[in-house]
Amino acid sequence: MMHQTIKRDGVETIGNPHLSLEGINKKYGLVEVISNLNLEVRKGELIALLGPSGCGKTTTLRMIAGLIAPSAGKIAVGGRDVTHIAPHGRDMGLVFQSYALFPHMTVAKNVAFGLEMRGLSRADIANKVAKALSMVQLEHLAERKPRELSGGQQQRVALARALVIEPSILLLDEPLSNLDAKLRDEMRTQIRDIQQQLGITTVFVTHDQVEALSMCDRIVVMKGGLIEQVGTPHEIYERPATPFVASFVGRTNRVKGKRTADGCIRIGSSMIRSATPAGQDDVVVMVRPHRIHIDWNATSTEQDETANRTAAVLSRITFIGDVIQYHFDVDGSEFIVEESTKKSQSSHRHGDKAVLSWSVEDTLVFGADQ
Amino acid sequence: MEDNPTSWFMRITVTILFLFLLAPVLLVFPISFSGDQILAFPPSSWSLRWYEALLGNNVMMSAFLTSLGLASVVTVLSLIIAIPASYAIVRLKVTGSEFLFNLFTAPLLLPTIVLGLAILIIFASMGLLATFTGLVIGHLVITLPYALRVLSVSLGNLSLACEEAASSLGAKPLAVFGKVTLPMMAPGIVAATALCFLVSFDEVVITLFLTGPRMTTLPVELFHHVESQADPLVASVSVLLILMTLAVVMIVDRTMGLTKAMASGRAVSMSTVADAT
Repeated sequence: MMHQTIKRDGVETIGNPHLSLEGINKKYGLVEVISNLNLEVRKGELIALLGPSGCGKTTTLRMIAGLIAPSAGKIAVGGRDVTHIAPHGRDMGLVFQSYALFPHMTVAKNVAFGLEMRGLSRADIANKVAKALSMVQLEHLAERKPRELSGGQQQRVALARALVIEPSILLLDEPLSNLDAKLRDEMRTQIRDIQQQLGITTVFVTHDQVEALSMCDRIVVMKGGLIEQVGTPHEIYERPATPFVASFVGRTNRVKGKRTADGCIRIGSSMIRSATPAGQDDVVVMVRPHRIHIDWNATSTEQDETANRTAAVLSRITFIGDVIQYHFDVDGSEFIVEESTKKSQSSHRHGDKAVLSWSVEDTLVFGADQ
Repeated sequence: MEDNPTSWFMRITVTILFLFLLAPVLLVFPISFSGDQILAFPPSSWSLRWYEALLGNNVMMSAFLTSLGLASVVTVLSLIIAIPASYAIVRLKVTGSEFLFNLFTAPLLLPTIVLGLAILIIFASMGLLATFTGLVIGHLVITLPYALRVLSVSLGNLSLACEEAASSLGAKPLAVFGKVTLPMMAPGIVAATALCFLVSFDEVVITLFLTGPRMTTLPVELFHHVESQADPLVASVSVLLILMTLAVVMIVDRTMGLTKAMASGRAVSMSTVADAT
């Protein structure tokens, strides 16, 4: 399914969005926590709100759910304005970080709650509850109380409870943050599979870039109540719009440089090129650590059209199991280079000289004041 | 636990402390079976005569029934008032809710005798003295602070997420309260019930001002009896009081576990005690 993407007033719009936020503002007293947020989500899309704590991602989710009211702006679902509709009238499935299961009800009763509120017949409820529980593979625990379940099981009950009402939008608020690493990986795939299977429009709040990159169709990177960038995981990773996005999503080297008259960038005594033009004199250059190649034997730092080369001195080695990090000194700036480890690792020592090279395309340049 | 000297020292200290606290209470039991005419320990003979005397004492028995009815009505009314009040204060945070909370709990700060006197003056002009209604209102003044505090703490400790989840699942505010908030407050409600019942059932100081020959409560009648006579009847009445208290505690323990119920009320009673002193 292809949608035409057009730029209008700098805001990305898509044809016929399922969920749209227009000019959303949220103030607490004089403090503005969300400023002029515009976002459109397609039907069936899984979109991540990604950012550090305090960036406004959870506030945004809670405004979509109707748990807090925006100070200004409009929220619409399927063309219907829901800005002033109470949470119980919004038809949204909400999953919390803390699971928020009703402790006094059994698993089956928890899942049935939303259906009972909708006045369904007993037979229908039993049928749908059984289906929802089998979807998350918990049929056998239907009569247990939430406190008798593990964290992962509780979160699956919460997911079943939110999905059984067939909501128009599924909202996930850091659903995996309370789970241990292995379980998190499993739940990631399970949530994505269920989301694809049901084709349900989903907004996923997370501070974990791996979750956002691996699960979502598009990512909204937020910082300080503003959207930094909206794009596919690939776009966010390969073409970050701001230095913040570049350093928040994936690891990156960050060095200061100066633009020269011929369009090159000077880092210390080295001159490098980039594909992205930056209009200022003072720039920040960013290169992903695993995109840099180390040539231990070369001495030539001759530049060409496609690659940047610079001489470097090894200052530190960090071994992290599947990856080894080399810290290089390039005229006073530090470059970290990552390589996958091999069993027969060649040994290098502090003070070894090498030539670092990386593609011009992989050279991200931003204005220094960004 | 290891059998080190400290733990033995602790055990002995705790045992002595318990004996110190409970010995006078335990002493009441043997005395109540005394066959003597006067209150003395140890009794020179044993009998059930003071239990017979208690059953035959119409004033004592009617005072006991009054106390029982009074404590029940006061407890129910306290909950009916304090549950919505705590919800308004903790959840809705209505304007002036802090003031309301302080107003409700203020009676705990006043010397009870002053409170009793004040109520006496007002009730005298309204004809509420020695009436059941008057006693109910008087007792509410002191049970409400306990109920409100226990319930506010219990509600404040509940995560808002469950209520938010319920409303996102389509529950209207009243349904959220009835189906999620109230059941989750159950431990607090049981603790408040027990506390209100016991406070009302044992209350003496304020009640002294509000009772009269027409209507009196068991603790007050006991007080009057001790003033005029020194027979072991007071011991059998005391046993009755202790058994009532024990019954309440056991009901709480059976329904939900005493520790659990009191844990939600503990912080409260602590701060209440701190306030009162």
